Amino acid sequence: MTPLLETRGVWQRFGGLVANSDVSISVVPGEIVGLIGPNGAGKSTLFNLIAGVLPPTQGSIWFDGEDVTKMPAAERCQRGIGRTFQVVKSFETMSVIDNVIVGALVRNTAMRVARRKAYEVLEFCGLAARADVLASDLVPSEKRRLEVARALATEPKLLLLDEVLTGLTAVEAKTGVELVRKVRATGVTVLMVEHVMEIVMPLVDRAIVLDLGKVLIEGKPKDVVRDPKVISAYLGDRHAVSA
Amino acid sequence: MDSSFAQRRRRDLIVAACLAVAAALVPLFVKDVYVQNIMVLTLMYAALSQSWNILSGYCGQISLGHALYFGLGAYTTALLFTKFGVLPWFGMLAGGLISAGIAMALGYPCFRLRGHYFVIATIVIAEIALLLIQNWDWAGAALGIDIPVRGDSWLKFQFTRSKLPYFYFALVLACIAWLVTWWLEDSKWGFWWRAVKDNPDAAESLGVVVFNSKMGAAAVSAFLVAVGGSFYAQFVSYIDPESVMGFQFSLLMALPAVVGGIGTLWGPILGAVILIPLTELTRSFIGGSGRGVDLIVYGTLIVLISLARPQGLVGLFSSRKATAR
Repeated sequence: MTPLLETRGVWQRFGGLVANSDVSISVVPGEIVGLIGPNGAGKSTLFNLIAGVLPPTQGSIWFDGEDVTKMPAAERCQRGIGRTFQVVKSFETMSVIDNVIVGALVRNTAMRVARRKAYEVLEFCGLAARADVLASDLVPSEKRRLEVARALATEPKLLLLDEVLTGLTAVEAKTGVELVRKVRATGVTVLMVEHVMEIVMPLVDRAIVLDLGKVLIEGKPKDVVRDPKVISAYLGDRHAVSA
Repeated sequence: MDSSFAQRRRRDLIVAACLAVAAALVPLFVKDVYVQNIMVLTLMYAALSQSWNILSGYCGQISLGHALYFGLGAYTTALLFTKFGVLPWFGMLAGGLISAGIAMALGYPCFRLRGHYFVIATIVIAEIALLLIQNWDWAGAALGIDIPVRGDSWLKFQFTRSKLPYFYFALVLACIAWLVTWWLEDSKWGFWWRAVKDNPDAAESLGVVVFNSKMGAAAVSAFLVAVGGSFYAQFVSYIDPESVMGFQFSLLMALPAVVGGIGTLWGPILGAVILIPLTELTRSFIGGSGRGVDLIVYGTLIVLISLARPQGLVGLFSSRKATAR
């Protein structure tokens, strides 16, 4: 199948620091792909390159058959890339529904339609009861869901989730996992960055492990977790040997 | 939820219509020219502050240089009339369009700045413009322009015998500024602006072109403020650089919105109704020989309001509105 998203030999340098070196990954339509790796592996950098926060130093990024390497973030959203932020960035002085309307306006210029669409998305995400509450009054797990709702309202083909399940309680994380499954069921492809393995592994179809800016390994979750290279990257060589 | 939102919008509109009608009837009972003068200024500042609020309140780009657009409106109208005999009505439109154009030209470099640096840039640019006008001989330099008065006429928008035409025009201006804001509040621009104010990165990720949004807000805001400046030139019929482009105008546009509630629909009007009469009254009753007592009273009030209600006074009237916005 032709990939929905493809990075070709992507490099990102920040001064002397190489955050991504020669990263080539691809995501096919309908997949849930997990981008994992220890802290400082370059996951967030790669994520931001795909979302269009900054252009890569070298290499190219292709989305839906189009070179989007130099395209600004807003335009990528219009093409169908939706994203959430690791540190939630709600519009704090706006109500929950208004937050989502901003996203819905990408595809719907009539306010009435955008409002209805936003409300549907809130129902889908289980936030409809909180529609008229100020975003600043939400609890952290609700803010995470608002991030997802806002991104979904842009009707993305590819949804980028940046650690949406990290730092949640077990129950909240379970709700989050169910939400991601529901999202995929509607035909949206998901690429998610996580470093909590036990949450993300049962959820994803495929895992890509980054370490020191490079793709270490990719494959089925159950194979990836057993791979000595992955274990050593996370825990150090001693554990890899004993495993 | 959909209906409650529509209801609130309709209620705002009805309240505004009632207030406008009530305001229009006031001159029937108030014949004192001094008080009428204060009412004209109050309405004008309500309109100006409402316009300022579009860029600085909704879009969050705090400008303390809007005196520039006020002065541009005043000067365009006065110059076109005295030099070329162009009627003030066209001058008003020309002033608005020139200001909107200049706001976008200035926005091009300045909107790359964030927060305090943007504010500083707006102050500096307005000061530079003031200096330029002060040294521009063709435009009267520091002496300014005397707009020749040739009797009462709607065509030339000049009235010597009565303040009432100015009052009604100022009322219309305030209504227009309010209606524009009301309409924008539930438009994609209004949503984009609030998103840009709250979090530009998140806005960008949701398909909002932040830079263009700011440019749009600047153009609308500058246009309306320039129309106010044109009106002011006709109202006082004599302008000089300091009296239409001085820094105090930038402050007098910002303060009503800040006191009333920045980024709210009703804040600027509420703030203007409180602050402008207070400014004028303290100036005439305890200013003068006291030299500055009026400013002390004024400053104290602002400090008290910002301590007690930093989000503005508008929330006192409707707690529901304060939480919904």
